[in-house]
Amino acid sequence: MIIFTCKDTFEDMMSCIYTAWASRLGHKNIRLKTEPIGNLELFCDYRHVDHDPNQTASVIRSIQKKISFRAYQMVYRAAMSFQEEKLDIIYRFLIYGFHYGPSVVNMLQEPAVMNLFELDRKVLNEAHLFREFLRFSEIDHVLISHIEPKCDVLTILAPQFTDRMPSENWMIIDDNRWTAVVHPCDQDYYMTTLSEDELNRLKTSEISDIYTDLWKVFFETIGVEARKNPRCQRTMMPLWYRKHMTEFL
Amino acid sequence: METFSPSLSLQEKLTILADAAKYDVACTSSGADRRGEKGKLGNGVAAGICHSFASDGRCVSLLKILQSNECIYDCKYCLNRSSNDRVRTTFTPEEVCRLVIEFYRRNYIEGLFLSSGVVKSPSYTMELMCRTLSMLRNQYHFNGYIHVKAIPGAPEELLETLGYLADRVSINLELPTPEGLKDLAPHKTQKTILKPMEQIRSGIADHRLSIGKDPMMERFGGNRNLKHTIFDDVRSGRIEEHRQLASNSFLPPAKDKPAPFVPAGQSTQMIVGATAENDLQLLSVTQQLYQKFDLKRVFFSAYVPLNEDSRLPSLDTAPPLLREHRLYQADWLLRFYGFHAEELLSTDRPNFNIMLDPKCDWALRHLELFPVEINRAGYAELLRVPGIGTKSAYRIVKSRRQRSLTFENLKKIGVVLKRAKYFITCNGKMMFHIPIEENFITRQLIGEDYKKSWEIDHPQTYEQLSLFDDQNFSSSPSAEDTCKSLSGQI
Repeated sequence: MIIFTCKDTFEDMMSCIYTAWASRLGHKNIRLKTEPIGNLELFCDYRHVDHDPNQTASVIRSIQKKISFRAYQMVYRAAMSFQEEKLDIIYRFLIYGFHYGPSVVNMLQEPAVMNLFELDRKVLNEAHLFREFLRFSEIDHVLISHIEPKCDVLTILAPQFTDRMPSENWMIIDDNRWTAVVHPCDQDYYMTTLSEDELNRLKTSEISDIYTDLWKVFFETIGVEARKNPRCQRTMMPLWYRKHMTEFL
Repeated sequence: METFSPSLSLQEKLTILADAAKYDVACTSSGADRRGEKGKLGNGVAAGICHSFASDGRCVSLLKILQSNECIYDCKYCLNRSSNDRVRTTFTPEEVCRLVIEFYRRNYIEGLFLSSGVVKSPSYTMELMCRTLSMLRNQYHFNGYIHVKAIPGAPEELLETLGYLADRVSINLELPTPEGLKDLAPHKTQKTILKPMEQIRSGIADHRLSIGKDPMMERFGGNRNLKHTIFDDVRSGRIEEHRQLASNSFLPPAKDKPAPFVPAGQSTQMIVGATAENDLQLLSVTQQLYQKFDLKRVFFSAYVPLNEDSRLPSLDTAPPLLREHRLYQADWLLRFYGFHAEELLSTDRPNFNIMLDPKCDWALRHLELFPVEINRAGYAELLRVPGIGTKSAYRIVKSRRQRSLTFENLKKIGVVLKRAKYFITCNGKMMFHIPIEENFITRQLIGEDYKKSWEIDHPQTYEQLSLFDDQNFSSSPSAEDTCKSLSGQI
């Protein structure tokens, strides 16, 4: 068994798929994994693949042309997942995809397709929850938000919040990955990585002002006592997502 | 005695006016799809976004407040009725605007839900609300969602102005029958409620025709695969019936699109459990509202006793949460599943089965239509199977084109086999050897759903431990059990 490994970024993963496919070792005989690799397996040969812009572009082009744009979106989102097996799942999906063409996204009875579908759904759901539950606090006319998502949802959130607040300065910080989306007023957003120093400086940005207090008051008032139902509240808004929410701070 | 103190702080005002608004149900931000614009704040997302969930599990999507809790009316069920002794206060338009903008920027809310008690007169109140909305849209450049309650009895011009500023306008029907309304809300009549509703309906139709669309609001996309939904009954012949076209609708096309009028449609709300109406009456009225007034949503609110009155249920009545839940389930069946009110309830059985959801209940009374073959049945037939929803029906139809589906696949696709297994076959075989017999399936389904129903009605209470399986929690019989029961071994 040959295992191809690469860094955990979308570009690296696409290059890795290219290399693995071009190795002509047979789909059965290879596996793909993202780094870091935890336990090494016996009788496996690990090969690290580096990012190559041409290979990446070529894989993306083929997915969009030979399968469909929708399949590309699914693959992209699946690649944002936190699951270890994601790269292999994407690879198995592409084998089917290049064979069946655009109709592959509906073939949910194939385990290879179903696995990708589930990854995609998980990432989308998590991104949606953060779209709902992330909270900004205002410091010097800049809105700053901290999130700790399991999946890498920043690239999905960024265009949504750009549409929502085009004329505001805001940034969303992923505390786990040390990355951030920065959106200056009336300009395009960009992604950046944060140094430890910057992250520490931004850590204390969850401050309270008059509007956070007003919001807490509103939130406590709006529930109807006679219908109290904490279990339903937990189902809709799991405790895990409440870490940075103003009303629970 | 009314106490009026102008010196309340913003926080106190917010507490009073949010507390007074919380019994309004609608907190949806759906229906309006609008891109953000530079220089403005906000956009509209068609599916709606919940930003938090209150302690009662209801979604908090909009800043739900009253403009004022002063009221000249004396509706028996209402917290703000004039005969109640409460602190009265009114938001100024600036205060509302500041709250909305600052909350929206921090991603707390998706927009504003503005209702109001009737200050001085309906016209005065509506004018105040119009001022607020106009300031929010034009001075504060707010582009997010606004849901506003129209006050029955206000002049038409004000309602029209409101319609151009808000995304959704709603007028509460409160009670489904004129008698109930007369009894509990002596200052309102069904006529004064239905008149503005009709005005908004024709305003929406005018606007839709002027931009070249069908006069009726769009409904769930999957409905076009259904033959006979409640919305189809009225669609034909609507254009001829539409007499009063606004004069400016037929001007030559302007450069800009005409300003949208109530783009997210209108909605209403009915109280469940305050009067003696049965579920059939409520559901028939709901269906008629969808058909005649082209409402986007009808909301139900389980009656929470707030006031003591001889004509109302006593103060210790628990809100009929399960009944409300069943009505919402039925409402979904009307809007997304192609059911009609007459199919779900009849005059001999005017109330929903508390033990079973309306779809299971319907299926059990129509066992002659089952089992349905998953690999061959049409979308409409699949939708009628308990345990299959719009998403899973769509996925089934799409995926079976390539290869036939098995029960294992169905589970992954999202079908709730716990309910569906009694009603479906895959490639001609049922999941277990199950007799299609009404009593047997009813027993099974009730056993499985009882716990859930009980929890909806008693969200906070606990039950007495018992040695006996009095709630019938036992797991469903395996294939062997069924064989044994047939051959008489148990």
